[in-house]
Amino acid sequence: MKLKSTGKKWEVDEMSYNKLNENLIDRIGEIVGEEGVIRDRDKMDDFSHDEYPLLDFKSFPDIVVQPRSTEEVSQIVKLAWENSIPITPRGSATGLCGGCVPIYGGIALSLERMDNILEIDEDNLLVTVEAGVKLMDLFKTVEDRELFFPPHPGDESAMVGGAIATNAGGSRAVKYGVMRNFVRGIEVVLPNGDVEWLGTKNVKDTSGYSLVNLFIGSEGTLGVITKAILKITPQPGATMTLVAIYENLEDAIGTVPEIIKKGLSPISIEFIEKEVIPPTEALLGKKWPTSEGEVHLMLIVDARDEDELMQIGEELVDICTANNATDVLVADTKEKQEEILDIRSNIYLALKKDVVEILDITVPPSRIADFVKRVRDLSEKYKIELLTYGHAGDGNVHVHMMKGGEESAYSPLRRELHEMGIEMGGVVSGEHGIGLAKKEFLKMMGEGKIELMRRIKRALDEKNIMNPGKIFDL
Amino acid sequence: MRIVVCIKPTPEGSELAISPETGTLEREKGDLIINPFDLYAVEEAIKIKEKQKEVEITGIAMAPPKGDSALREALALGCDRTILLTDREFAGADTLATSRTLAKAIDKLGFDLVICGMKSTDGDTAQVGPGIAEFLDISHVSWVSSILELGEKMVVKQMLEDCYREVEVGLPCLITVTKEINDPRLPSFKNKLKAKKAEIETWGLENLGLNPQECGLKGSPTRVVKTAHPSYRKEVEFVDEKGFIEELEEWRIL
Repeated sequence: MKLKSTGKKWEVDEMSYNKLNENLIDRIGEIVGEEGVIRDRDKMDDFSHDEYPLLDFKSFPDIVVQPRSTEEVSQIVKLAWENSIPITPRGSATGLCGGCVPIYGGIALSLERMDNILEIDEDNLLVTVEAGVKLMDLFKTVEDRELFFPPHPGDESAMVGGAIATNAGGSRAVKYGVMRNFVRGIEVVLPNGDVEWLGTKNVKDTSGYSLVNLFIGSEGTLGVITKAILKITPQPGATMTLVAIYENLEDAIGTVPEIIKKGLSPISIEFIEKEVIPPTEALLGKKWPTSEGEVHLMLIVDARDEDELMQIGEELVDICTANNATDVLVADTKEKQEEILDIRSNIYLALKKDVVEILDITVPPSRIADFVKRVRDLSEKYKIELLTYGHAGDGNVHVHMMKGGEESAYSPLRRELHEMGIEMGGVVSGEHGIGLAKKEFLKMMGEGKIELMRRIKRALDEKNIMNPGKIFDL
Repeated sequence: MRIVVCIKPTPEGSELAISPETGTLEREKGDLIINPFDLYAVEEAIKIKEKQKEVEITGIAMAPPKGDSALREALALGCDRTILLTDREFAGADTLATSRTLAKAIDKLGFDLVICGMKSTDGDTAQVGPGIAEFLDISHVSWVSSILELGEKMVVKQMLEDCYREVEVGLPCLITVTKEINDPRLPSFKNKLKAKKAEIETWGLENLGLNPQECGLKGSPTRVVKTAHPSYRKEVEFVDEKGFIEELEEWRIL
């Protein structure tokens, strides 16, 4: 077993898989073409990890395969199925929990060459894409037609297939929801190589189980997503970014449930403590709009037109002021809004070198103030800095465990944070997925649910070749 | 102290549309905002007002009626009063006619200090600020990156190509400011809302007592024949040792 582990354990039964032999590798080359195969280990480093900050999960595949079509994916998967070779699908590997790391070696199936936007159906407001389309290209293509794809997981280089497989979220979820809300249909290659379209272009569909939803968020353990029909919307007529300034955390975070309660739904409500701003400003050479106050809420608001925008803005500002905001600033030019968002989006990059781990615990929005307060208490208890910032509007404030404290405290602290989240009615992962990093915490949410998932997994993939070892142990 | 800030309403966005037929800038598209360089002028005026007593800031712009959006922005940021110079006769003005028209209005207002941005993002000439000073017959310092002293007289830091120099100048005067001078603030939402509802004062040809021959297209000796992006070319040539020596010899370095 090649897996480097720092005290974490996975049940690895290597005997149940076969090794790729020369004959199989040649057949793979015949299917996808030699330019679609990487066999040289020196060129495989990119395929041995994702963006998880620690190196715990680094593990190399035996071969990287880059198919060009569903047909090729199907043939590769069939070959893997017949020969019991583990296969790990991957997009851009921007994940944060080791989800696409091939811990059993075998085939890393990279969808990057399937990057065509197949159809923009402007009448039904749907776009059909291949799984390897990068989000940035999807955004650009629809924007050129004055359309809008609302979900915005942080890293725009992520691919559609990966975003669906992890049910990615991001900062615009407050108003628009997560990937799941924008997937109408998917084409999947099942573990035995069969191809099936799940879901349709229809708005209403009660024709049997919602299999499309079963695959969304399944992290590549049930099959390979090869195509998707995604919902798009007309572009909002006007947008603005508000920055509300507060003297203390309680007032800032206390504003959030008040906004939600009124049904105002800004696109995003981000919560930022002042201390994370200077390192990000230094990194980007840009200036955050204010140095006043201690805590800021960043609200992005969209509307049909300028008048509606100002109306919503007025209501939002009233709520902020009632919760002791000292001032609320507004940016309405595209340039200024992009600058603010850019700083917000790069906080993680600025902090990354000091981050041990970024957690993804999510609680119901009404509990967010309480959650952040209790995170602070735990930070004091374990003497480890825990920075909190991010998606306050959907209860998904990422806790950043920072370097500098006793390493022996990481594990019990991590555990206590997750227990606390669950106790508050939360979940262990809101948008990053379980992958490898959160398996031990998923167990805290109940063995019954995991057993159900195991039964589904066994029914679809009895040989356990699809992304084995992820989400839960069989 | 009476400060006048000159504001050019410009189209939003850094990519300017140049009409393929006429070669002139297309100003019709999108909302007009404060020329980004003029934001520094507005900010500097507000900073002076925050430090000194009895400062009144007037923002002034020459633009079509829809240029009022830029002046509303200036009001939201903290200008006390704004005036939009708008008249059909002002249309098509070059930098000379623009300077003359603005100078006339500034003279009518009365002033101690005029602040302009160093140039506009659409015209890019940097001529209007100094032009106004000439018509007003006052001193001016362009490309000011810092105001070091402001009392009876003013001491400013002026940015030159590869150095700075300190310049002392008596009031009244005009300065044009660079991006280094400050970090423009964002308006508070409440002020933006107030500014949206505010009445914007407008002055036409009659208010200024100008002759139609002196402004707009008629008062403009400049004709834009063609607007094009300059092309920059950089070439890198890789040479071996021998070639390198030859190259040095050719350049008479060896």
